[in-house]
Amino acid sequence: MRGAHEGKIPTRNQPIRDFVSDRVAILMGMHLGAPSKPCVAKGDRVLMGQLIGEPVGPLGVAVHASVSGNVTAVEPIPYMTAEPMMCVSIRNDFKDEWVELNPLGNVETCDPALIVPAIKEAGICGMGGAAFPTHVKLTCREGATCDTIILNGVECDTHLTADHRLMLEEPARIVDGLRAAMRALDVKRGVIAIEDNKPEAIEAMSKAIEGRIGVEVAVLKTKYPQGCEKQLIKSITGREVPSGKLPVDVHTIMLNVATAHAIADAVIDGKPLVERITTVTGCVLEPGNLRMRVGTYLCDAIGECGGYSEYPGKIVCGGGMTGTCAPNHDVPTTKATNGIVVFNKPDSRSVEEGPCIRCGRCVEACPMGLNPYLIKHHCDMAKWDEAKKLNLLDCTLCGCCSYACPARRWLTASFKVAKANLAIAAERGKAQ
Amino acid sequence: MRLRLSTLPHIRSGETTTTLMLNVLIALVPCVIAGIYNFGWNAAMLMAVCMGTAILSEYLFQLIARRPVRVGDLSALVTGLILALNLPSSAPWWMAVVGSAFAIVIVKELFGGIGSNFMNPALTARAVLLASWPVMMTAYVSPTYWQQGVDAVSSATPLGGLSASYLDLFLGRIPGSIGEVSKVMILVGLVYLIISRTITWHIPVCMVGSAFLFSWIFGADPVAAILSGGLLFGAVFMATDYTTCPMTFKGQVMYAAGCGLIVAVIRAFGSYPEGVTYAILLMNIVTPLIDKYVRHRVYGHGKGEKHNG
Amino acid sequence: MADNNRSIGSVFLDGVITENPTFRLVLGICPTIATTTSAINGLGMGAAATFVLIGSNAVISLLRNFIPDKVRIPAFVVVICTFVTMVQLLMQAFVPSLYDALGMFIPLIVVNCIILARAEAFASKNGVLPSIVDGLGMGVGFTGAITLMGCVRELISSGSIFGLNVLSAGYQPMLLIGMAAGGFMVFGLSLGAFNLIVNRVEKKKGGVKA
Repeated sequence: MRGAHEGKIPTRNQPIRDFVSDRVAILMGMHLGAPSKPCVAKGDRVLMGQLIGEPVGPLGVAVHASVSGNVTAVEPIPYMTAEPMMCVSIRNDFKDEWVELNPLGNVETCDPALIVPAIKEAGICGMGGAAFPTHVKLTCREGATCDTIILNGVECDTHLTADHRLMLEEPARIVDGLRAAMRALDVKRGVIAIEDNKPEAIEAMSKAIEGRIGVEVAVLKTKYPQGCEKQLIKSITGREVPSGKLPVDVHTIMLNVATAHAIADAVIDGKPLVERITTVTGCVLEPGNLRMRVGTYLCDAIGECGGYSEYPGKIVCGGGMTGTCAPNHDVPTTKATNGIVVFNKPDSRSVEEGPCIRCGRCVEACPMGLNPYLIKHHCDMAKWDEAKKLNLLDCTLCGCCSYACPARRWLTASFKVAKANLAIAAERGKAQ
Repeated sequence: MRLRLSTLPHIRSGETTTTLMLNVLIALVPCVIAGIYNFGWNAAMLMAVCMGTAILSEYLFQLIARRPVRVGDLSALVTGLILALNLPSSAPWWMAVVGSAFAIVIVKELFGGIGSNFMNPALTARAVLLASWPVMMTAYVSPTYWQQGVDAVSSATPLGGLSASYLDLFLGRIPGSIGEVSKVMILVGLVYLIISRTITWHIPVCMVGSAFLFSWIFGADPVAAILSGGLLFGAVFMATDYTTCPMTFKGQVMYAAGCGLIVAVIRAFGSYPEGVTYAILLMNIVTPLIDKYVRHRVYGHGKGEKHNG
Repeated sequence: MADNNRSIGSVFLDGVITENPTFRLVLGICPTIATTTSAINGLGMGAAATFVLIGSNAVISLLRNFIPDKVRIPAFVVVICTFVTMVQLLMQAFVPSLYDALGMFIPLIVVNCIILARAEAFASKNGVLPSIVDGLGMGVGFTGAITLMGCVRELISSGSIFGLNVLSAGYQPMLLIGMAAGGFMVFGLSLGAFNLIVNRVEKKKGGVKA
């Protein structure tokens, strides 16, 4: 995929800088699964790391205050979801008073049985974008075994450099997090996967793993979407996740490097997940990698980076390929916001869909081996079942086909609609 | 503040249908220059007429049929130019008009426009012209315009019995269609197409390779076989037409090998001296079949499993 | 089809236009492609088929209450064969040149789908007079269609119509149209054009009524 990596250039050499804004809005539904239940009220004073949202349901994740200060509101706010989402707003008093923490100490010597509960308590979910609850991932279900944990340091999406900088600046912490996860599951092999376009990160991580048990660094070819879970597992272990199955079915668990870092914080210091590194780039004056509290408003982060350099046409949370559009800049970041990319007006323009010229670019681009042009043909006629027969459900919505299509066809967009339709149909079928 | 909301991806490659077609046109420029140099102004006139007719007929058809006008994607220009380069330089102007209009209206637009035609429009038009006016379509003249002046004489092509050295064949000092004689210029175009990533090497290389191999098996001189007639031009510019060649690299290799085989078979056993046109057209028709059965293995599905829906 | 209230005129017009055997029902395509190389061949073929159609429709309509349902197709074919043989002998006697030009396609009228289809769909369910008119309408529709195609193909492939040169001597005939491939092209294009026009007219009529 040519030209897709230019977006990383402005921020790849920018050191991580801290940014704390005077207000945060902490969403209750930052993770996959049911939104958490707020357990503070307007006017309460909360300490940093204090539990403010109790987990709900099997995929629930705890939510903690990311600053100390007074709760100014507990109410739903408009978000990228269809419905407004419950949110706890806190005015920062800049005292950063922590609640009492329960550190487990050294990851190599602590009780392995306590690691997953500590992760659960810290409210960690996947920080690469999907926001799957990490403690659930690290709890192998009955009968499943895991022999490899892969740390995803590929960061293949465009524009993003947050993981890259984290690997450069805090490699030891990342390895600590990986070791903690390995010990929790008694896994003997841990692999840190990095693309070959990040030689400094490879060097830093290679140095950091010296003397650590069972950890190795794997260098991969730069190729979008190398970082997609399934492609990465194939590259590292040679195993293919069967259609409709999970990585754990091929004895593999994958974590993002930022997640590993958060695990280390939770185990060593007992700190819950309250801050993360986010790349702020695109049409901003001083693009950079910010260490921000969870719940920082996009406009505050953009303001910290010097403000807009051009009139914004689109703000994307995440990378240029797989990010989600923000409705405006008054929405907060979440635990999974790895990037904020501002596009100017011309780059945000809607592209008109042309007729397919059967060039085959999408077929060669699809990492799953699908026939996007054919699936799109059925989607256009609302033949969802036909699309399903062509393995639509294996589509990971990586966006490669749309990126490559010279006719500018809305392939990925159609597949998203089709998948949603099939999900509704399946739901109905179950109900009957 | 009004922000646009859209689904992923938020970035697109710089390639569009128009840029790809423009690349093909640029790649054809060396052939155009060689054609005009070899065959004189009648060749230039034919190219102009073909391209003009192609554009005009596409525009008028889309207007009359109330379809979105897509003349701007340049695909009609490509079709017109490739057709012109497939004509002998002695062809009259009205043949260019009929051929171009046929290619655009009947082969391309009536089947649904760009991307929907099942055969290469320029080649089909050439086949139609060849069947309709066989004498005029094979009245090849020697590429000696600048030496002899306007009155070039028509003569046999190497495939029709004329003997020529490899160098003559390679440099295009042989009678033939406007665009196909100068192999050097075709190769220059091929290099550009591959460098600009408009096409991959698979089809041209496999088609020429397979024609070489089968010509050799059938007892012909394989080097002369790949250097004569329209083989190279067909392999580079016509077999690689996106719409009518298979989607996967594996399919493209099969398709190109089939083209080469049919060329060799027609040349060795057929009654026509040249078979590139029919070889490519026949394989165009096989393309949907290849696309149906030659697909990538879907990730996460077993090796023996079938996925054709 | 079995609607007995329809006027004779509408039965005739159906055959010529709205149910034109060539362009609307797409029946009898083999002789259509094969015998339209010239206008006169088309006309001859059409006339022969019309004769058979009228005759077989009339006889089958007369016998419709006597033919057992189970053997109706063989019975129809026997009737049709009789008329085809008559036509063949007549043409051989009176228009030998046309007989030679059409050759095999005259006996093949037996298996022309139009004739059997009309026997099955119309004549076996209607009275004698409507059946004769239906046969005439279908015959005229078929003749018209293939004569038209014959004219077009003859004009393009040899510059003449009914053997008369209408284009100037400088015209270079387009041989392809005289070949089978050209036959398919002309057939496809005229079929498309016919349907385009008829649908437009019907839409307009329907619009006025509504």
